[in-house]
Amino acid sequence: MTLLEAAAALRRREVSSAELTAAALQRIDRLNPSTNAMQFVMAEAARERAKQADEELARGEGRGPLQGIPIAVKDLFCTKGVRTTGGSRLFEDYVPDHDATVVEWLRAGGAVLVGKTGMHELAYGITSSNPHFGAIRNPWDRDRIPGGSSGGSGAAVSAGMVPMAMGSDTGGSIRIPASFCGVVGLKPTYGRVSRYGAMPLGFSLDHMGPLTRSVRDAGAVLNAIAGYDPRDETSSRRPVESYVPDIEPSIRGLRIGLPENFYFERLDPDVDAAVRVAFHTAESRGAEIVPLRVPDIAAINTVARVILLAEASALLEPHLEQRDRFGDDVLALLDQGRLLPATDYINAQRLRRAMQREFAGLWSRVDCLFTPTTPITAPRIGETTVTAGGENEDVRLAATRLVRAINPLGLPAVSIPCGADRRGLPIGLQIVGRPFAEALVLRVAQALVPVEVPVPPL
Amino acid sequence: MSTESKKDWKKIARANGLSIPDAALERIAQSLDALEADFRPLARALPSETEPAVAFHAAIHADGEDAE
Repeated sequence: MTLLEAAAALRRREVSSAELTAAALQRIDRLNPSTNAMQFVMAEAARERAKQADEELARGEGRGPLQGIPIAVKDLFCTKGVRTTGGSRLFEDYVPDHDATVVEWLRAGGAVLVGKTGMHELAYGITSSNPHFGAIRNPWDRDRIPGGSSGGSGAAVSAGMVPMAMGSDTGGSIRIPASFCGVVGLKPTYGRVSRYGAMPLGFSLDHMGPLTRSVRDAGAVLNAIAGYDPRDETSSRRPVESYVPDIEPSIRGLRIGLPENFYFERLDPDVDAAVRVAFHTAESRGAEIVPLRVPDIAAINTVARVILLAEASALLEPHLEQRDRFGDDVLALLDQGRLLPATDYINAQRLRRAMQREFAGLWSRVDCLFTPTTPITAPRIGETTVTAGGENEDVRLAATRLVRAINPLGLPAVSIPCGADRRGLPIGLQIVGRPFAEALVLRVAQALVPVEVPVPPL
Repeated sequence: MSTESKKDWKKIARANGLSIPDAALERIAQSLDALEADFRPLARALPSETEPAVAFHAAIHADGEDAE
């Protein structure tokens, strides 16, 4: 059941929040041992919150569609009085005295927080094979990674533990698990959703967004978490819109960009075929497909890597004497960041400005771009290289290749399922829009995926 | 083809007083060399008037207006 379907059932008194929450907790009990999606379960607090929601609904006190709905958040969102580890041994005993803005606003909307999802250590990687808290497993094939860093959120939503889990995305960390787990993952525009109280990784690249089982659910969650927050100085004052698309929205006349360079190079052939079907589907619904060359995405990826290496190492510098408290992959990245000169960081931010201007020119020609989210489907746990388009590639570079550039550009992007490969593993389509065009991006996504995403055989 | 020699990451680490073990430096040297090779030509081609995106607002340049 999607979040909005559950919300409607609650209002029709066909189900109570207590029942929805009990069902979520039961499913977590059953499936978490084999997926490790949830880092912490907050059963008692959730039951109490659900009871409150039922009482409010009985009194006619409506708070919106999240009221009474069981949800989860990635374990880097600060939760008052509840441990927030960031997937790291460094913070294993950290108990915040405040909620992240996103958590605060979800709670204000009446959501029932049932737990916190596991993640790649410090959100710095894409496998979610956490050396401290165990590997998270993909519900579609438990020998495979769910992607990351929001791997627990992707796995929890895919497995139907909760209809929504919050993630964060610094170089693809919402969209990659959405692609590998077959769910919807929305990375809003930089500044649209507050970063306050979410453990940072790359200050200028971090974005917060939901993973859900339907496009309309992603819009409903964005309605609750979007808006100006003075506690985040990069927060935008731009007015929010209604982000929930119509059930059957029109995309007639919209111009959809078909990249002629970069995005269709070195793909798994099943991914290539599935994404091309999405173009045909959009065209059959009246959209205009516009082939075009995109700016140098490989160069933007390089710039994004330099920025992230420098920002993450600057952030974690005080902890780097405790080398035994980091996993090998994260430590290697942090060491790399310490060796970059400050001039590289400044020049990367200068290049980012130039590339942002260049990319902005696309929006006079198209309304959105379609690309594959990932060039591959979910790799096996422990794989360090993958083959994409006949070439071997580092698994981290492959998984981030088509999503990373969108972070320094700050653009809104959603990943939606668009088919399966020959093994039945989900394939993701990325839809990218101009800044603050979340409503349009979600409208196009809904036109392509108007129903709840499939549940894996569990 | 680049005529530049590769950076000596061990010397750079020592000069900066970074306590990174040699074995760790050897493991990351290849990644850093690759990043250098990709990044250096981009940085060199930067026009001098391009300022860094220090305070970043996604809407400014895309829409040609300051929406903040």
